[in-house]
Amino acid sequence: MRISNSKFGMMLSLPGAFVLFLWVIVPLGILVVTSFLRYDNIHPVVFAGLKNYEFVFNHRIFWLSFKNTLIFCAGVTSLTLVVSLILAHSLSRINRFASLFRSLSMFPWAVPMVVSGFMWAQMFNPSFGVINDFFLRMGIISKPIGIFGNPSLAMIGVIFADAWTRIPFMTIIILAGLESIDPTLYEAARVDGADSLQLFSRISLPLNKKATMTGIIITTIFSFRTIDTIFSMTFGGPAKGTYTFGFYILDNIYRFFNFGVAGAMSIILLILLLIIGSVFIYQTLRIEKR
Amino acid sequence: MRQFICRILDHKATPYVVLSVLLFILLLPIGWTLLTSLKSLKEAFQSPPTYFPDKLTFEAYRKVLTETPVPRYVLNSLIYALATAAFVLSAGTFSAYGLSKYPYRGSNTILISFLVTRIIPPLSLLLPFYMIFRYFGMIDTKISVIVFAIYLSYPLSVWILKSFFDTYPTDLMEAGLIDGCSRMGVLFRIVLPGVATGIAAVAIITFLWTWQEFLSPYLFLNSDLNKPITVGVYYFVGDELTYWNTISAAAMLASIPGILFFLIAQKYIVKGLTSGGVKE
Repeated sequence: MRISNSKFGMMLSLPGAFVLFLWVIVPLGILVVTSFLRYDNIHPVVFAGLKNYEFVFNHRIFWLSFKNTLIFCAGVTSLTLVVSLILAHSLSRINRFASLFRSLSMFPWAVPMVVSGFMWAQMFNPSFGVINDFFLRMGIISKPIGIFGNPSLAMIGVIFADAWTRIPFMTIIILAGLESIDPTLYEAARVDGADSLQLFSRISLPLNKKATMTGIIITTIFSFRTIDTIFSMTFGGPAKGTYTFGFYILDNIYRFFNFGVAGAMSIILLILLLIIGSVFIYQTLRIEKR
Repeated sequence: MRQFICRILDHKATPYVVLSVLLFILLLPIGWTLLTSLKSLKEAFQSPPTYFPDKLTFEAYRKVLTETPVPRYVLNSLIYALATAAFVLSAGTFSAYGLSKYPYRGSNTILISFLVTRIIPPLSLLLPFYMIFRYFGMIDTKISVIVFAIYLSYPLSVWILKSFFDTYPTDLMEAGLIDGCSRMGVLFRIVLPGVATGIAAVAIITFLWTWQEFLSPYLFLNSDLNKPITVGVYYFVGDELTYWNTISAAAMLASIPGILFFLIAQKYIVKGLTSGGVKE
């Protein structure tokens, strides 16, 4: 018996779709329900309405973690963007050793983020880290600075460690966009007497807007929701100076065992990222349709 | 002034100079860790630091591999990464193929749900997975880590696989059908060999992704027995006495698979990831 093509497609893809349902939709459902329960592992579980959300929004620590997340996210994304733009433009202009340089610029990506945090913590170490030693030798600072004792400096430290792991991806996205620009455009502009600064601001930047935006959005989303580097560098400290959303959720899960509050917080994070992410989905679908 | 800047920018050597400086800084953390891992404990603690080890020694590696549980951590990471990749590929390949080549009513909705679920932050689903594992008594088991790792890479993997199938020419499939192959035969004998690099790319991405995962095993596991290398390195750092040279050696071991894969298969990984558009 021969079944139709569309039935065949259904048979092939439905098991996989069921896996998606089991692995994503079911946990998501549990999460939504939990966020409306009083579920603190002390009292019996009861429906709590919006109490958990109310608690979170009135919690000073939540607003502190919100502020920290925004600073962290903005810092990581802008640092990543600047370095990636320079890297991608340089990579697009070389011929010799091009693939070697590309491979080398991918290396930070290969390092687990939690290890990246350790690597940078070691570099920033006041007594035997290379960064302090370098600035001491240059005479820029007179005594070693322990950045992990100061909340603002610690934030700068974790931003460096996190941006470091994200530069390769952004570079690749921007580079791919640059390579799809028609080279005759540059030649024509040259003939018309444009200099290289104009080529950059009139051709490279505007024609590559979409790829650059994709890179920015993805980096924003990911730096918003990952805490691996912060975890191994400062663990949210000192004085909660690098305490971001992730720590708020984790603390409520395995330190306070308040699943209701952790659930509400998870939903808040999800909604915030949905807003940023919908822009991205919209773009991807538009490219798909073409 | 502007002319001067442009002349510098236009110079042939400029991108090479810029790249050399930038890459030096970018590779410094890895290089510094590598150098520290080759120092003796005494030298690793020296202040000010030596830039290049006075005496190269593999002492730290020997110690990590024989006196600590690191070999077991590495083995665990391998198990997690391989099991996850195997599951994701076997469950995802057929789905992606069906969705790409045999669309049906509603297949588009399924396709979009694969993309949309990518937006859900894994951080948000840590709690429900934790609750599920606790309910079924799966906390502190290897299965819990694998189950969560599947959630992390499955939707994206299907999306990438689908984009590889999309680029495979339908003509070749039809030629196979005319020659008397069944539709399943076409998939196994013609299409799969044709997109082998894409499948390899997805396997590598899933492997690396699981290898690098930290937060979920940290939350789900208690005993030393099941820890992956990422969690192992983290606990090393947390120890009161920080043996920088041995931690550095462990950190290098944790980074080696990624570095190797990027050296060997950089092109395919990048192609896969940019078509799906994500890495964490």
